[in-house]
Amino acid sequence: MRDVLVIGGGIAGIQASLDMADAGFTVHLVEKEPTIGGHMAQTDKVFPTLDCSSCILTPKMVGVGQHPNIRLYTLSEVTRIDGQAGDFTVEVVRHPRYVDESACTGCGACAEACVMKGRIPNAFDMGLGKRGAVYIAFPQAVPLKYAIDPATCLTLSRGKCKKGPPCKLACAADAIHFEDTEKRLTLHVGAIVVATGYDPFDPRLKPEYGYGAYPEVLTALEVERLCSASGPTLGEIVVNGKKPTKVFFIHCVGSRDHTVDNPYCSRVCCMFTAKQAHLVKDKVPDAKVTVTYIDIRAFGKGYEEFYERVQDEGIIYRRGVISEVFKKGDKLYVRGEDAFLGEVYEEEADMVVLAAGLTQRKGLDVIEALGIQKGDDRFFKGPSPLDPVETGIDGVYLAGCCAGPKDIPDTVVQASGAAARAMAVLARGKAA
Amino acid sequence: MRIGVYVCHCGINIASVVDVAAVRDYALTLPGVVLAKDYQYMCSDPGQEMVREDIGKHHLDRVVIAACSPRMHEGTFRKVMEKGGINAYYFEEANIREQCSWVHSDRQVATEKAKELVAAAVSRVHLQEALREKEAAVIPAALVIGGGIAGLTAAKDMADAGFEVTLVERQPYLGGHVAKWTATFPHMAKAEEFLTPLIQEIQARDNVTVLTSSELTDLQGFVGNYQAKVAVTPRYVDASACTRCGQCLEVCPVEVPDEATWGLTPRKAVLLPSPPHVPDAAVIDPATCRHFTEGNCDACAAACPEGAIHLEEAIREETIDIGVIIVATGYQLFDPARKPELNYGKLPTVITGPQLERLLNENGPTGGELIIGGKKPTRITFIHCVGSRDHTVDHPYCSRVCCMYTAKQARLVKERYPDVRIRVCYMDMRTFCRGCEEFYNDVQRMRIIYTRGMVSEIFPKGETPVVRFEDTFLEEMMEEETDWVVLAVGMEPAEGVEELQNLLKLSRSADGFFLEAHPKLRPVDTDTDGIFLAGCCQGPRDIADTVSSAHAAAARAAIPLFAGKVAIAPIVAEVDEEVCAGCALCEQVCVYGALKLDERSKKMTVNEAVCKGCGACSATCPSSAIKLRNFKNNQLLAQIDALCVTSAEAGA
Repeated sequence: MRDVLVIGGGIAGIQASLDMADAGFTVHLVEKEPTIGGHMAQTDKVFPTLDCSSCILTPKMVGVGQHPNIRLYTLSEVTRIDGQAGDFTVEVVRHPRYVDESACTGCGACAEACVMKGRIPNAFDMGLGKRGAVYIAFPQAVPLKYAIDPATCLTLSRGKCKKGPPCKLACAADAIHFEDTEKRLTLHVGAIVVATGYDPFDPRLKPEYGYGAYPEVLTALEVERLCSASGPTLGEIVVNGKKPTKVFFIHCVGSRDHTVDNPYCSRVCCMFTAKQAHLVKDKVPDAKVTVTYIDIRAFGKGYEEFYERVQDEGIIYRRGVISEVFKKGDKLYVRGEDAFLGEVYEEEADMVVLAAGLTQRKGLDVIEALGIQKGDDRFFKGPSPLDPVETGIDGVYLAGCCAGPKDIPDTVVQASGAAARAMAVLARGKAA
Repeated sequence: MRIGVYVCHCGINIASVVDVAAVRDYALTLPGVVLAKDYQYMCSDPGQEMVREDIGKHHLDRVVIAACSPRMHEGTFRKVMEKGGINAYYFEEANIREQCSWVHSDRQVATEKAKELVAAAVSRVHLQEALREKEAAVIPAALVIGGGIAGLTAAKDMADAGFEVTLVERQPYLGGHVAKWTATFPHMAKAEEFLTPLIQEIQARDNVTVLTSSELTDLQGFVGNYQAKVAVTPRYVDASACTRCGQCLEVCPVEVPDEATWGLTPRKAVLLPSPPHVPDAAVIDPATCRHFTEGNCDACAAACPEGAIHLEEAIREETIDIGVIIVATGYQLFDPARKPELNYGKLPTVITGPQLERLLNENGPTGGELIIGGKKPTRITFIHCVGSRDHTVDHPYCSRVCCMYTAKQARLVKERYPDVRIRVCYMDMRTFCRGCEEFYNDVQRMRIIYTRGMVSEIFPKGETPVVRFEDTFLEEMMEEETDWVVLAVGMEPAEGVEELQNLLKLSRSADGFFLEAHPKLRPVDTDTDGIFLAGCCQGPRDIADTVSSAHAAAARAAIPLFAGKVAIAPIVAEVDEEVCAGCALCEQVCVYGALKLDERSKKMTVNEAVCKGCGACSATCPSSAIKLRNFKNNQLLAQIDALCVTSAEAGA
């Protein structure tokens, strides 16, 4: 058996797929979104090097799209897994794209013509940008094939759109097929790499921070999109139509927090906040940028040095927890404790960024049915905490944040690690 | 010549600063250019497809793409050339992003510069030569350097995948640092619970050869075809005959500080480490044994009832052919004597965390009792970040494990000695690993005092250490007597890292650890093809992250072995034998060892598989006899000439 299944097309799934495909194995990569790329594609720049995230991710995405040994199934989900190491049977459902992948050239004429153009919040931009009912998530999507969102497409949801769907009329390649249906396929694979990633913590669960109530309160992923040159504001930091001048970053939102049953550390927020504080200061040099924290966890290669650099740039680090974000009149305030000064303070803010942590994805029943254990933190785990790749089930291995929060280097490392274990099974045809 | 030029917008990365349409129109005026287009993302599938189609439709024989750095997408576009049906090297990428739009803000000036860069690329592409990649076969075997948890894990993975593995360990025993830990965080697993089975499995494998007391002395070749030389020091004890009776230890007259306890206890020149060290037999250390240092002692051999000791054995050298190498050489601990204000080495109860670990170990020198100088402590102060996050010792980096090993040790002490008063002085608690924040929460509930603030000094009051520290919450300086001080020493590059760096031609980052090829995209690869990094030799990390990176190094190393062949890049040096005078100056500057003077013909020869195409040789050759393909003088001068001409025009 030379075939292997990878579940999830973020950076973890991409890395595991490329490793195994380069070694000559046939990889079936299943991704539920219309494009691969995952959360890393949403990120503007990466710490501590400040590389442009898509610039380092895109070559790998293109590599997946063009690899002769990788079969990519987007808009697809694994619905059932049976068997054992060396001989798994996997059922996959492919949701309709309503656009023929082999015919679509990615020209975008359909999206231009769509009646709903610019009216639907684009999830890729965390809802800050708008798209139509036929869309690509971002210009470097792989595959670069448009997809129709059946919930918002008038033809699909109401049966009628103008006098004939403008997208279909606009498509020179005749790629749009409203009659497209769900398809099922069965794969036979020798090993499985689980790379399902994470869900960001929903800060609405911490109502005291005012997320959802105050438009000035943003999540870190929203700020990534604001910083991004290809994001909804073309890289401008604009909140409520204005450039902010008093910016507060709040660490540990939904992490190290027993009140939301997340006592664990999310491992990446200290550093992505340092990076975002740097980017905001860089784009709005006059802004007063304050970061409030419990402990600064700058532990990776070059991270401590980056944290020192950010402090030198005039960003204020205040140790202490923020208890509340609130409005007095039309002004927004944060109330917090300064642990060094031993006092409670209130300060005005016109942008508050919540460093929301990482949580286990929802909807992983099929993978759980394999018998993979979960930790108290709800992430997948194996029998030994000292080997994060193993699941305890021969032939099934973990890559990336599905096995606990981690940054991009640690994710890429673990993904290659999962590939190593999977390839050993593939090479022997049975459990190693 | 029919050249196609493509100008990339890179979203707004280029187009917001450079007038791409103007660059495109300008390109059409250049000699040989028959087609010029601009597009949003040239690297995207439709961008690539456009080029591929145009090559056929417009009979292009050369292509220039003005986009990002060639480091990013040169490979991508070369593949497009091949798909279009022309040689991959009839291509030139003009970097109008990193070298233009990202560093300029004036639209007009940036646009002019982009034009110049395109003109230069067009000039050069005229002269590019068709090159072809070659392939070399791969020896399906791996060398793993280092027998700690990283090396053992990587070796097992490679063996599981079916490849021959040689594991070389400098120490006489496998297990590395992990073998010395009493318990591991966060689940308090004992090292022998996971290390011993792993070592046993490695030793049982038919396709793994373990060489202990061994060091790499030479490496030649290239990815897929390396020849390693390893010096193997004998154990001087037949491990299969040794019964661990200990009579050799009793008669050995030597007494030196024991490295296993970092000098806390003495040892003999015969070593008999406790489990989980493997092999489970005595070994003689020739560096301290009088038989070797003074040539006049064979007391142990005479005392051994089994006749297992053979002092006449000699160092031997083995040559090993392998395709890939995994470096898993670990770390060494920071020496706190470098911070004299801590009085480590002067006050007997100022010890390091790893020393405490040995004192807590039931197989350690005190059988697990906390005793130094006959006395048990009632007060212990732990100090974080000793030799980490510290510019005064040139270690600005975080060592990543000390917060947790200290929390673990505080817990071990408190569990066994509930009455011992424990204070921990820290800067930031970095308990980020899985289950570790939860562990820290539990430890805080054990009546352990965590004080945020750094220690400035440990000074003696008689034999008693006094710790001077700051409590940043109370904003006070404190002085406190204590019985023991435990220093949470950090990690630094292992001894001998420079020699290994030179042997393997690796790079190191500013912190001194081996440098990965790319921190995110290739975190366990190196710039030397076929050599990979596992564990702490690349930077501090805990056991879980070390195991993860060891698996990763195995995956990356297995790829060429599974593939069975490696591609050899064709941009390498070539020698014009008519011109070469055999002076061999180039050989001296080649850091990769790719050049060799043919003794008979007195002409230089190039090993194309070893050459990295750096160009040092061609810059050195006094007669231009050795040249780098596609970076020859005429090709580079054409590029420079075009830049000068366009600049002159702009000036006029």
